[in-house]
Amino acid sequence: MNRRLRTVGGAVLLGGPLLLALTGPLLVDGPTGHGRPFDPAGPLGTDFVGRDVVDQLLLGGRSVVLVAVAATTLAYLVGVPVGLLAATTRHRLVDELLMRPLDLLLAVPSLLLLILVAATAPRGPVTLTVLVALIALPEVARVTRAAALPLAHGTVMEAMRLYRETWWRRAIGHVAVGIRRVLAADAGVRFIGALYLVATASFLGVGVAPDAADWAVMVDRNRTGLFLQPWAVVVPAALIVAMAVGVNLVADRLLAGHRSTAERDAVEVLR
Amino acid sequence: MSLPRYAAGRLLLGAGQVAGVVTAVFVLAEALPGDAAVVIAGDQPDPARIALIRAQLDLDRPAGERYRDWLGDLLHGDLGVSLVSQRPVTEVLAATAAPTVLLATATLLLLVPLAVGVGMLAARREGGRLDRSLSAVSVGLYAVPEFALAILLAALFGVHLGWFPPTAVGTDGNLLAQPAVLVLPLLVLLARPICSISRLTRAGMVDAVRSGYVAHARRLGIPARRRWLAHALPNALAPVVQQLARTTDWLLGGVIVVEAVFVIPGLGTALVDAVTARDVPTVQGLCVLVAVTTVTVNLAADLVAFRLAPRTAGAR
Repeated sequence: MNRRLRTVGGAVLLGGPLLLALTGPLLVDGPTGHGRPFDPAGPLGTDFVGRDVVDQLLLGGRSVVLVAVAATTLAYLVGVPVGLLAATTRHRLVDELLMRPLDLLLAVPSLLLLILVAATAPRGPVTLTVLVALIALPEVARVTRAAALPLAHGTVMEAMRLYRETWWRRAIGHVAVGIRRVLAADAGVRFIGALYLVATASFLGVGVAPDAADWAVMVDRNRTGLFLQPWAVVVPAALIVAMAVGVNLVADRLLAGHRSTAERDAVEVLR
Repeated sequence: MSLPRYAAGRLLLGAGQVAGVVTAVFVLAEALPGDAAVVIAGDQPDPARIALIRAQLDLDRPAGERYRDWLGDLLHGDLGVSLVSQRPVTEVLAATAAPTVLLATATLLLLVPLAVGVGMLAARREGGRLDRSLSAVSVGLYAVPEFALAILLAALFGVHLGWFPPTAVGTDGNLLAQPAVLVLPLLVLLARPICSISRLTRAGMVDAVRSGYVAHARRLGIPARRRWLAHALPNALAPVVQQLARTTDWLLGGVIVVEAVFVIPGLGTALVDAVTARDVPTVQGLCVLVAVTTVTVNLAADLVAFRLAPRTAGAR
């Protein structure tokens, strides 16, 4: 399979569910009526409480995508400054103080953390966003630090120090701008991880209402009707799989598009 | 860095991680809205009754003191008593561990030869059609949520075609009595780690085969087979071993989901049930078990990787 075919395939697999997720809610007008549960009549039948599966599919993609995007953004807003600070500081203690607690966080299996904290915090998309961001945070900080280290301690940096350039120009103007490609490629990888976690958490009932219109929740709640009315389970599951495969293929293409293979290796090793 | 020195440093970090997780588990349990007494009081939340239960459970003592006791008990292997079944937590864990351990062991036993084999095959045919197809599949399947994959497989092979049982209902936790039950869960658990590990093996082999020491071995007249297996493979495997340890994290997540989809009464189901029922001691026990396992596996993997390739693995 050649690269272009793969990318086109990936874009189609990603684009379809994404378009459905983002525009779907606009196509549903008004509250949907309730019929009999698991009724196979209609295009895709009804779900476990008798709602129309097509309507639920149109409504259910947005939460997964938006929470994943928000969580990735949040992780970057916090993780990049932490990683930059750890890389640019000249005090080893600051570096250790910033990075060691994150190592601790890495030791906890992500789904375990998600289930535990979700049990103590109020349910809702905000909780889920913060949690998924928290789980992605150590990786973002580590990738940022690893990519910034060679720049932060190179000859250019030394010259800038000799010229008494401000910290801002050194850290942002030189280091942050220098690592922007690595971060862009890594963002794809993080988004994949976030999408995975959000979908899995929703499936396990963490941080969402039990009857929410959400693809992952649909898969969970309609499972009991797998024999009666498989479409209510298979279609949302297939949409999630298509989206995940699509994101993977497109992100891989973006990674491969890098001119510097060293940067790619840095991301690849840490992923 | 010498191996004993690296091992000592790594052991210290591992112990710190376990201590940190254990403390975090205690703090989180404290933060749970409504303590154990409220859970036990159940439908009759009478304040006097709650106070009585609280005194019975020593919950009226300061948190610091209870934390010390909890740590002491932990060191003796005592994880407390489940609030739901009133049985010792260690007993509850032992009773539900069998299916989970079976699934995890079978996955790892199949994963290593399959993934390393696929990776080496792809490296052997680098750039060829087989390599490109394998890499397309492994890129695509990386990070597909297990539950979606599991449902699709169960719907296709379990319900539509009827080749394998779609759930483990009726086996009563004894999965070996009906091995066909294992096929779909294992497929789901293998999908994700196989992709990452075979890619890593491929990348490591491609690098190693192009390296100076393999070229030198060729000039010495060492046969190709020996060059691949004895010279290139150990170096390629160092990052693989570390990634393998990281897959225990995925495996845990995967097991929770797979047990939920295929209705297998294992540790994952126990965790989800305990969290729903607010059975704090059981949740704490499970978390400690998982944390200790994860840290131990990572420690062992780092030491093996260090032994395989001391220069690169120690520099992490």
